[in-house]
Amino acid sequence: MKKFNKILKTLAISSVLFAGIAQAEVAVIVSASNGNGAIDQATIARVFLGKSKSFPDGSQAVPVDQNAGTASREAFNTTVLGKSASQLKAYWSRLIFTGKGTPPKESGDDAAVKALVAANPNLIGYIDASAVDGSVKVVHKF
Amino acid sequence: MIKHKVSLAAAIALAVSQSAYANDINVNGFLSVGASMLDNDDVSIAGADTTGGFKNDTILGLQISKQVNDKTSVTGQLVSRGEQDYKTEASWAFVTYNANNNTDLRMGRLRVPAFYYSDFLEVGYAYNWVRPPVEVYRLPFSSIDGLDLTHSYSAGSVDGSVQVYYGRFQGDMAIGGDEEYSTDAKNLTGIVLSNSFGNFGTRLSYHRAEINIDAAAGDGTALGNAIGAATAIAAVPAGINVGTATGNAALAGFTGIGDASAADDFAPDGQTTTFMQAAVSYDNGDVSMVAEWTALENDYLAIPDDTAWMVTVAKRFGDYTPHLTYSYDKDEYESGSEGDLQEALGLAFEQSSITLGLRYDYDAATALKFEVQTNNEKNDSTDLDETGTLYSVALDLVF
Repeated sequence: MKKFNKILKTLAISSVLFAGIAQAEVAVIVSASNGNGAIDQATIARVFLGKSKSFPDGSQAVPVDQNAGTASREAFNTTVLGKSASQLKAYWSRLIFTGKGTPPKESGDDAAVKALVAANPNLIGYIDASAVDGSVKVVHKF
Repeated sequence: MIKHKVSLAAAIALAVSQSAYANDINVNGFLSVGASMLDNDDVSIAGADTTGGFKNDTILGLQISKQVNDKTSVTGQLVSRGEQDYKTEASWAFVTYNANNNTDLRMGRLRVPAFYYSDFLEVGYAYNWVRPPVEVYRLPFSSIDGLDLTHSYSAGSVDGSVQVYYGRFQGDMAIGGDEEYSTDAKNLTGIVLSNSFGNFGTRLSYHRAEINIDAAAGDGTALGNAIGAATAIAAVPAGINVGTATGNAALAGFTGIGDASAADDFAPDGQTTTFMQAAVSYDNGDVSMVAEWTALENDYLAIPDDTAWMVTVAKRFGDYTPHLTYSYDKDEYESGSEGDLQEALGLAFEQSSITLGLRYDYDAATALKFEVQTNNEKNDSTDLDETGTLYSVALDLVF
């Protein structure tokens, strides 16, 4: 019985570990009704930095950010955009005050971004991969 | 009429549904509070003096923008500068018409896109210095009323844009110190080509204008005095003392050059000015570098042609960014008797600066900056050779 307990415990620990790994994965999503397939990281970065305003198929692309400080946002900034929060602030302040661009709108957490993106085929966002469901399509994962 | 109303309602409903997302008023602002102190009153740099003070580097900007419909947005930016006694001015006030995803037409009050840092010249948070190098960033006006067209493109891994503009500047311009002159820069036009590929970027631009500055001999301004002196020096025969020949003791230090026509183009009254600029930049997230070269060519003589350039490097260590900059500006005399006239008046200066600074990112919207700048000013005609050190601190915020 004691041994069994130990096995159970080990299982519980490893499932926590695996869950931890799964949570670290972030999915870049578009609406299920968006016609684009996989989108590479460079294209996603260009859209989120305001350098490009369209999807590979030519339709309009509008990026949405999560609120500052969420795990998904930090991961997205570091991995996809390759910039720290202050570097991004400096980057956008160069564009905001010239009317040349506005940063993606901060639109809440995984659930809020998913709901927004699902409802509008022009939006592109990112959420924790575990939050993905049929309403959205994953175009990139990291 | 009813039909019209219905279709209008439908159009509004459609516009709202399409852009509900971007349809609010954006308010952004920036604030820089700076203090600087110079150790030598014989050099002039960034309006600083040996008493020190907060005023010159203090700037507050407030921007409001609104997406009016899918294609049109309005942006207004009010800037209040300590340097100008906190007189508030609209630096930007324009309507943007988004012709398509890649083409924007802007109309209204715009910035002259002369330099790499022009667009965000006053947003201290956007760069590492307390202020851009004064040797290079030397044009006395920054906003024009007009229009511009920007087309952006991407080809492979290159992102670029072409901007063309046309406008006019009418207003006061500070030249050589605190004196302001009523100025009219007509047919101000130019083109800017920007490209970025990966960590590298380039910016090339060309600008021209016809400059009229309100000043005349005898009006008591520094420029008026120079115009009067230039006319006298040009007219007095070569080798003859101008003071003696004209009976004006104030001109006793000058010798005539005997070519009255040399002073014809001395005053700025509609001659063409051209300005060229080229910059390369590199930023890999840790190390960043910008090199910028500029050349100003005036067809009038009161302000000599010059060439100025700077190189700046910075390295990020987490929240700390030390940076080092060298900047240089050299005025050139014209050839022939026009140049002799400029030389007699000692118009050409040579200026250089070395700036060592540290930026500390306190949080994602606040930066604290410390800077030491050694500036050297030379004038071969007047045997001036002075070096001064400027100490500056600044706090920059964006909100």
